[in-house]
Amino acid sequence: MILAFDPQQQLGQPLVLGVIEGSVYGLIALGLVLLYKSNRIFNFAQAEFGTIAALTAYFGYNGKLFGIPWHMPWIAAVIVGIVLGTLSAVLTERLVIRPLFHQPKVIMVVGTVGVLLASIAVEYLVFPTGEVASLPSVTDVGLQDPAFRVGFAAYNVSWEQVLTLLVLVAMALAAVAFFRYSRQGTAILGVSQEPTAAATVGISISRVSLLTWTLAGFLGSVAGIVSIGGAPLLVPGIMTGTALVGGITAAVLGGVTSMPGAFVGGLLVGLVHQYTQAFLSFPGAQNVAVGLVLLLVLLVFPRGLLGSET
Amino acid sequence: MTAVAAAPAVSHWRLSGAGLAARGLAYLGLAVVLFLPSFATDFSKTCSLAVIYALMGLSLNIVVGYTGQLSLGHQGFLGLGALVTANIVAQAQLPIWLAMACAVLATTGVALVLGLVALRITGLYLSLITLVFGSAISSSLFALARFTDNNSGVKIQRPHYLATNGDWYLVCVAVLLVVFYFDYRLTVSKVGRALLALKENEQVAEAFGIGVTSYKLLAFALSGAIAGLAGGLYAFRGELYSEKDFQDPNGFTLALLFVVMCVVGGLGNRLGVVVAGLFFGLINELLDDLFYAHWVHPWMQHVPVLGSYYSSDVKASYLASLIGALLLLQTLIFNRGGLGAQLRPISRWMTGHRFELHDATHSGPAVAEGSSVRA
Repeated sequence: MILAFDPQQQLGQPLVLGVIEGSVYGLIALGLVLLYKSNRIFNFAQAEFGTIAALTAYFGYNGKLFGIPWHMPWIAAVIVGIVLGTLSAVLTERLVIRPLFHQPKVIMVVGTVGVLLASIAVEYLVFPTGEVASLPSVTDVGLQDPAFRVGFAAYNVSWEQVLTLLVLVAMALAAVAFFRYSRQGTAILGVSQEPTAAATVGISISRVSLLTWTLAGFLGSVAGIVSIGGAPLLVPGIMTGTALVGGITAAVLGGVTSMPGAFVGGLLVGLVHQYTQAFLSFPGAQNVAVGLVLLLVLLVFPRGLLGSET
Repeated sequence: MTAVAAAPAVSHWRLSGAGLAARGLAYLGLAVVLFLPSFATDFSKTCSLAVIYALMGLSLNIVVGYTGQLSLGHQGFLGLGALVTANIVAQAQLPIWLAMACAVLATTGVALVLGLVALRITGLYLSLITLVFGSAISSSLFALARFTDNNSGVKIQRPHYLATNGDWYLVCVAVLLVVFYFDYRLTVSKVGRALLALKENEQVAEAFGIGVTSYKLLAFALSGAIAGLAGGLYAFRGELYSEKDFQDPNGFTLALLFVVMCVVGGLGNRLGVVVAGLFFGLINELLDDLFYAHWVHPWMQHVPVLGSYYSSDVKASYLASLIGALLLLQTLIFNRGGLGAQLRPISRWMTGHRFELHDATHSGPAVAEGSSVRA
């Protein structure tokens, strides 16, 4: 079960791959943290916004979307994808979260589970399936220039994976800045800490809620777009299957209310995944390892690694 | 359904002889309806699955409905039950009843461990732990070559006196009825009241001398035991244990489906949960019958999204999932009591009360929580 030791394979490679895998978790976790700050719930549909974006972009670029062969330029497909992914988050807020606003949190969480199920089902019914596995990814077009690969050749890292990491860093910084310096960000924090007082000083709770879901949908969509290059095959529900558990774990490890925590948590989950895979070979070892780390962190630091405000 | 029998407003009303006969006939009809599928070969297999889903609904209902903790890993217990049963029968050649007893012991043990975690970690965090538990156990333990007959799936056989699908369906129904009665006894007993108190407010319950630790553990153990039983039934239903059934993405869909069943049925309402479980077990069959009916097929294939039902089995199965999601959302938003609340007039009539659409003892804000335990 324990593999023979090989420094490059077991120390260098997992470090690089773990950071890259972790950045997708980090992106999902950022959106989850944002929603946790405002609604005090986990959004189980968070990763699925990404799948919607990825599938839309993919089929908009090459293939049929709603029966029409669009053949959009690469960048247009990505933008349409992100817009649709964000729109699904906005719809979720309007149709599901808003009516459940004053219900117990568990009910709201089950509501997001319903959204998750519904979106996977709609994706299956709307997008063509079956042909997907054989087609190249959207980001291949602009970014799979062999010249880009040179520096990472030894570790078999593609540019789209590096891009993921850069996007995550940019998003995390933007999110921190948004909450620290903008009026909207302060309003979101205000509503999360004391809704009644926030409403009294003139903050519209429903507008803030819509804003947070829009931002979370955007983050989820970006996560979906940047990870399609790495996805083994693009099928409905793929982001939920690959990144939801990692993303929520990352958010919780970082302390659910902390943006830098989501970032660190994401990288941690990615690294734990890759290092267990490098050292142990029994099936599902990486899932068990992540579960154990999560359990340990929750038992020892109930507020996560970087969580302070709760 | 009987704990609140003595409502003062209707105390002058008595069950008449004709009323008793009508209820007797209704029970007879129900028994016939439950018995009929056992004559069919393929349909009884589908019905067994429906009954197993109903059992899983009851199992999850104890955790979600009675103790108020969301579990997203119950497919792990179902799979563990199936794994233990199949492997004991195939490798140790023990009789199936003993194998199923071992499965119940195993799932109860694992559920107790999860319960220990639940003592420390609650709410959203616990739902995450259960989610991770489900995906971790199904991707690791279930996939070990020694438990899957080197990844080819463990083939087992039912004993000769239960050889047909119909026989096994009747076994499933019998188990469901026993568990159903057991669940009823649970909720009208001291344990049920203790669990209800725990769910409403742990501190207050503890102040009244309810042992929070032991009752929480008990709830998880019972839930695990029922799921283990369902797993055993599942393994013998197809006479095959295959880990793929419980691994993501199937396993994750299954876990969500169980939650959907509990919510649509009405959290904490055993009759509603059972009916919802049966419905979700049969829905694929029902949809097939509908979509391939001669008066639907010709025009349905031209309907934009629904028409893709015919293009592949995968898409067809996701239509069921969409219906489940929509039912879940409508239950949450418009109809918090779930199916159970809709069925209450009937279930009250069946248990010897007057037929009343608006039941005086259950109306009012008590439904606000949507999940309060009522016997």
